[in-house]
Amino acid sequence: MTTTDTPTEIITPPGEPVIHIRRFFKAPPELVFRAITEPEYLRRWYGPRHLEITVCEADLRVGGTWRLVHRAPDGTEFAFHGEFLELEPPRKRVGTWSWDGAPDAVATETMLCEPVEGGTMVVSTMVHNTVEARDMHVANGMEAGIIDSHGRLDELLVAEQAT
Amino acid sequence: MTGNELDRAFGALSDPTRRAILARLAEGDAGVMDVAAPFPMSQPAITKHLNVLEEAGLISRHRQARQRLCHLEPVRLKQLSDWVGSYREFWEESFERLDELLEELQGTKETSTRNTTGGTT
Repeated sequence: MTTTDTPTEIITPPGEPVIHIRRFFKAPPELVFRAITEPEYLRRWYGPRHLEITVCEADLRVGGTWRLVHRAPDGTEFAFHGEFLELEPPRKRVGTWSWDGAPDAVATETMLCEPVEGGTMVVSTMVHNTVEARDMHVANGMEAGIIDSHGRLDELLVAEQAT
Repeated sequence: MTGNELDRAFGALSDPTRRAILARLAEGDAGVMDVAAPFPMSQPAITKHLNVLEEAGLISRHRQARQRLCHLEPVRLKQLSDWVGSYREFWEESFERLDELLEELQGTKETSTRNTTGGTT
């Protein structure tokens, strides 16, 4: 397993229905874009290791849809789907995002792959229609994460949130 | 923490006055008068904010002598930071896997150009 010291920046501003994520990758935008967009790549990394991806499919064109299902070891499934609104490889992808558990809460995600020295900066901005929907989205990530060991959490909190 | 509690807690935090009140209480318990002092608003207005914070579980109030003191409840704040922390964990682990995948893909495609990865292509 590779160890990286590349920090993931996650910002959830209070009162705004937005999530910002930024992360550097040591690969050119062309490759990063494919790895985060094409299902055959996506299913190899998206989500924690203990979650199995049972469905990962995408119709890669504007107006095309995608669908992804995670299954936890206890059988719980988390299913997500959306539609591509803009596909401009290797720089920009815009699409909708919903969790099947709350299909009315549709978020819009803009993903940018910016070339930087030595690699790519991926910048994702997810805009939900309400703050509550945003919070629920984060809470779902929490559920998925919480099934796994909770051991590193406190270290992470100390390291990443002491700003 | 239920979705409802989360909503209330984040709703409570979405106001600058209430965040300032929490910052004040982080220094120690205080009565309503003391809490209200720095703000250009009436005491009933401050009391409303305190009610919101109390309903969200971010503060509690108790009597001491003739005063009602407000007390910061750090557990709730910890839960909120855990909430973001676990989401972070989801992404940290995903991105580590993506690092591995990218390394693997570049290894097979370009037969290891580790020193000068990136560049123009």
